[in-house]
Amino acid sequence: MPDAKTVCPYCGTGCSMRLITKGNQIVEVEADRESPVNEGNLCLKGYFGFHHVASPARLTTPMMRREDGRFAPAGWDAALDVVARKLADIKRESGPDAIVIFSTARSTNEENYVTQKFARAVLGTNNVDHCARLCHAPTTSGLEMTLGAGAMTNTIGELSRHSDVIFICGSNTAECHPIVASHVIKAKARGAKLIVADPRKNEMVKHADLWLGVPIGHDIPLLNAMMHVIIKEGLHKADFIREHTDGFDDLARAVANYPPERVSQMTGIPAEDLVKAGRWYANAGAASTLYAMGVTQFTCGTGNVVSIANLAVITGQIGRPGAGVCPLRGQNNIQGAGDLGAVPNEFPGCYKVTDDAARARFEKAWNSPLSSKIGLRLTEVPAAILDGKVRAVICDGENPMLTDPSTRHFARAVEKLDLLMVTDIFLSETARRAHVVLPACGWGGRKGTFINTERRVQRVRAAVRARGETKAAWWIFRSLSERLGFDGMRYRSPEDVWNEVRTVVPEQWGGVSYARLDKEPGVCHPCPTEDHPGTPILHVGGRFATPSGRAQLKPVLFDPVEVPESERKAFASPIVGHIAERPDADYPFIFTTGRVAAHYHTGNMTRRSPVLEQIAPEALFELNPEDARDLGLRDGEYIRVTTRRGSVVSKAWVTGRVSPKLVFGTFHYWETPANELTNSENLDPYCFIPEFKISAARVVKITPAEAQASVEAQRRYFRQDVEAAAIIAENAYLQSHGDAA
Amino acid sequence: MNRFVIADWEKCIGCNTCMAGCVDVHERAGLAAYPRLHVTRLENATMPLQCRNCDDAPCEKVCPVRAITFEDRSVQLNESVCIGCKLCALVCPFGAITPHGTKPRGEESLAYGHVLRVGPPMPQGEESPLYGTYPLMLPEPDLRPDAVHPLLQWLIGERTVAVKCDLCHWRPQGPECVRVCPTDALRLVDEDNVTELIEKRRVQTFHDHPAGG
Repeated sequence: MPDAKTVCPYCGTGCSMRLITKGNQIVEVEADRESPVNEGNLCLKGYFGFHHVASPARLTTPMMRREDGRFAPAGWDAALDVVARKLADIKRESGPDAIVIFSTARSTNEENYVTQKFARAVLGTNNVDHCARLCHAPTTSGLEMTLGAGAMTNTIGELSRHSDVIFICGSNTAECHPIVASHVIKAKARGAKLIVADPRKNEMVKHADLWLGVPIGHDIPLLNAMMHVIIKEGLHKADFIREHTDGFDDLARAVANYPPERVSQMTGIPAEDLVKAGRWYANAGAASTLYAMGVTQFTCGTGNVVSIANLAVITGQIGRPGAGVCPLRGQNNIQGAGDLGAVPNEFPGCYKVTDDAARARFEKAWNSPLSSKIGLRLTEVPAAILDGKVRAVICDGENPMLTDPSTRHFARAVEKLDLLMVTDIFLSETARRAHVVLPACGWGGRKGTFINTERRVQRVRAAVRARGETKAAWWIFRSLSERLGFDGMRYRSPEDVWNEVRTVVPEQWGGVSYARLDKEPGVCHPCPTEDHPGTPILHVGGRFATPSGRAQLKPVLFDPVEVPESERKAFASPIVGHIAERPDADYPFIFTTGRVAAHYHTGNMTRRSPVLEQIAPEALFELNPEDARDLGLRDGEYIRVTTRRGSVVSKAWVTGRVSPKLVFGTFHYWETPANELTNSENLDPYCFIPEFKISAARVVKITPAEAQASVEAQRRYFRQDVEAAAIIAENAYLQSHGDAA
Repeated sequence: MNRFVIADWEKCIGCNTCMAGCVDVHERAGLAAYPRLHVTRLENATMPLQCRNCDDAPCEKVCPVRAITFEDRSVQLNESVCIGCKLCALVCPFGAITPHGTKPRGEESLAYGHVLRVGPPMPQGEESPLYGTYPLMLPEPDLRPDAVHPLLQWLIGERTVAVKCDLCHWRPQGPECVRVCPTDALRLVDEDNVTELIEKRRVQTFHDHPAGG
C-alpha cells in the first residue's frame, strides 16, 4: 500500500505523521512538517512505536474459550452468533442494564459512536463508559460546571506563539506530552515565564522560572492562595467578572481564608512564592494553565479542576490567543470518545441522557426508544458484577486488568461474569479471561478520525492491509446489531458513520467532512457548516458555554483531613476536598503513579518496539536519598512497596526528584503492576474517578532473588497462556488461509 | 577542526528520543544496537552527553589495536577491530565511551537472524523467557558499512566492544539525534559555526570592553 498520512496512536497531542511502508509493513515514521500541532517533530513513541502493528502475536482470528479453559479459534459467524445469543438471553432475563460496554479512547470517533449507539439503541442501556473515567473525568465535570464545556479551551500552537506565562499544574508534560513540552520550550525561548507546581522535580521543573513544590493532593489550597493574593492586590479583572460571571462573592469569601502564610504552613511552599505565582499569572498578557493527572486523579479532582477554572476566569485569562485552560488529554482519541457519547450520562455532543428534549432528538435520529437512567460508570462496574447486577461485559480494546485501580478486586469480579467479550489487537491480560476474544483492526490498518486534546478532528488513514481476519469495532457492532434485529446500522465504511454523526449533531461536526479533512490540517470543533472555520478558541469575549452564557465561579475548600463544619456551612454548595488515604504509622510512605516517555500505559504496544523496550526496559520506582539511607538501599537495588490493596516489586532509582517519604512508580510493566497498589474505593463524588495518585504505602528493601521470585509470580498471574493462545490463533489462521498472512 | 554534537540543557526535556533514534539508526546499519549518547539527569538539569571528538583524543592514544582513529574531523571507532579492553572508556574525560556487550536479543544472531525476540529484563541479568517475536528489519546491503567485518556480525553480542558517537558518518543528513530531537536541543558543532561564534564574540568584546579591559 502507498505511504499514508495519519495521526500518532499514543497521547492526546495528536501529532500528524507519515507512515513509510515496504510491502505490507511499516518501516519508518516521518513527522509532518505541515502540522500546526507538531510542526515537523515527534517524540520517541511517535518515531519508534510502530513495531506492534507487524507483531506475530497480533490476534488475527476470533477465538472462544473451550470447556478446559483454553482458547480455540472460531469463525466470525460462530463467535458473533454466540455473543448475540447470550446478549439477547441476558437482556431478556435480567434487563438491558445487566450488560455493560467499555468503549475505548484508543479507537476512532466512528467506532465510539457506533459502540455507544449499540448500547443505547440496540441494547437499551446507558451502561457505556471508557477510560476517561480514570483520567480526565474531573475535567468534564469541573469545566462543564464552571465554563460550560469540558475541553481544552485553546490550541497547542498558541503556547509557543502567544502565552507570556505558562502555569503547569500537575502535568509531567515532558514525559507524557513531549511535543506540548516542545511548545513550552519555544515559548521560553521567546521570553515567556514558566511556573510549575508539582510534588516531584520532574523535567519541566528544571525549566521553571518558579517551582511550587506542592505536596501531593494539595492543589486547592495552592490555587486558593494564588487567588487570595490576586483579589487582595486587586489584580482580578472586575469588569470581566461583573459582565461575564456569577458567584464571585462566594469565591472571594472562600479564598479569603487561604492567605499565603496559612497555605505555606499547610504545604511548605514559601509564602513569597505563592505571592509571586499569583502576580505573574494575573499580570501576564496571556497566561495558560496546563494540567493533567496530577490534578484529576484525586477524590477532589473536580474541585482541583474547578479551582483552575476559577483562577483563569477571575483574571480574564481565557478566551484569547494563548490565554486559557488546557487539560492535556492522555490518549489519542479520549476527547473524541467522550464527545461522541461513550459515557454513561451523555449522548454524542455532550447532551444529557436525563434531558427529555435531547433524548427525543436521539430517539428520532436512531429510531429507537432510549433509557433516561444514567448508566454505570466504569469504576462502579466491579461492585455491580459482584452484586449480581451486571452479567455481561463487552470490552473494546481496554485492558482493565492492568489499568483499573486495585486490579485483584477487578479480577475477582470478572470471574463471575456470564459473558466477557474482549476485542483487542493482542491477547491482553483482560482478553485472557474472556469467553470470546475478537481480533481488532488496530492503528496502522484502521480508518476514521481522532479528536486530539485541542478538539482538532484529524483523519486516521491505513498504511497496511488489515491483518488476518481483523475487523474494526464499527463492523463488529453493526454485525451484532443485525443479529439482534436492529436495522439502523447499515454502515459500509467509517465515512458512512461519520456522515451520520454530522447529521445527528451538526452543531458540533456538521462542517467537518472527510473531503475537508483531506485538504486541511484538521478542524477544531465546534464547526457547524462547511464554510465555518472551526473553533480553535472557546469562550471568546467572555461568552461561556454554560446555559446562562456566564462562567459559574464556585468556592472550593480543602483540608487534608476534613474541612471544618463551620467553614463549610458558610457557603450554599461548596466543593470540598480532602485526602482519602493519608500516611500513618503502618503505612508511612505515599505512593504515586505516572508514566515515562518511552512507554504507553500497559505496554501492549510500546513494549513490542525493541527500541522503546531498550530505552525503558523495567520499572524504576523513584525514592528519596534520605529514605534510601534509612532502608540501607543503594541506587538500582530492589524494593517492595505494599499498600492496603497489594504489593509489588521494583528496582529503585534513588533520586532527589521525589521528596522524602514519597515513592513514584509507573504502571507500564506487568512485572511491576503498580495498580495493584492503588485505591479503587474512594471516588470523587462528582465524576467517580478513584484516587490513583495517593496510596499510603510501606517500603522495604529486598534481595535480587526475592525480586526475581516476584517477577515469576507476576508472570504466572498475568502472562501464562498468553503466548500459547496467540500461537494457537496464529496457527489456526495459517491453516485456514495458507501462508498468505 | 573536530566536529561534535552537543546539547543545550536549556532546551532538553529528557524525553530520550535522541537515544531511541541513535539505537535505531545504528541497528539498521548493522552496528551495535546501543545508544551512543546518554540522557543524564541531575537534580536541576538534564541533557544527553556524548563524544566531543577531541582533536587530541586520549582514547585514540591508548587504543592498543588502533581501532580508534581520527578520520574526517572526528574520532571513529571500528567495532570489528575493537578487542574490548576498555582502556578508552577509562581515559575519556567525558564518560562518552561505553563498553557494551551486545547480547543477542534472541535465539538467532542479531545480524543474520530473521526473527528478533525480546523478553523482559530479569533481575541479576539472567536470560528471560521470551514473550514476543518480531520480524527483524535488516539494513539494505548497501547501507551496511564496510567497516563492519563479518566476524563481528557473527560474534555480536558475545563480547564487549567500545561504543561511542560516530556522528552517523555514513548518513548524508547527519547525526540522527539532531534530526529527531523535538526541542532542537542538539546541534552539530563544526569549524564554520565555531568561527562564526568566535567572530561574534570578538565584536561583542570590542563593544563591551573597547579599551581591551
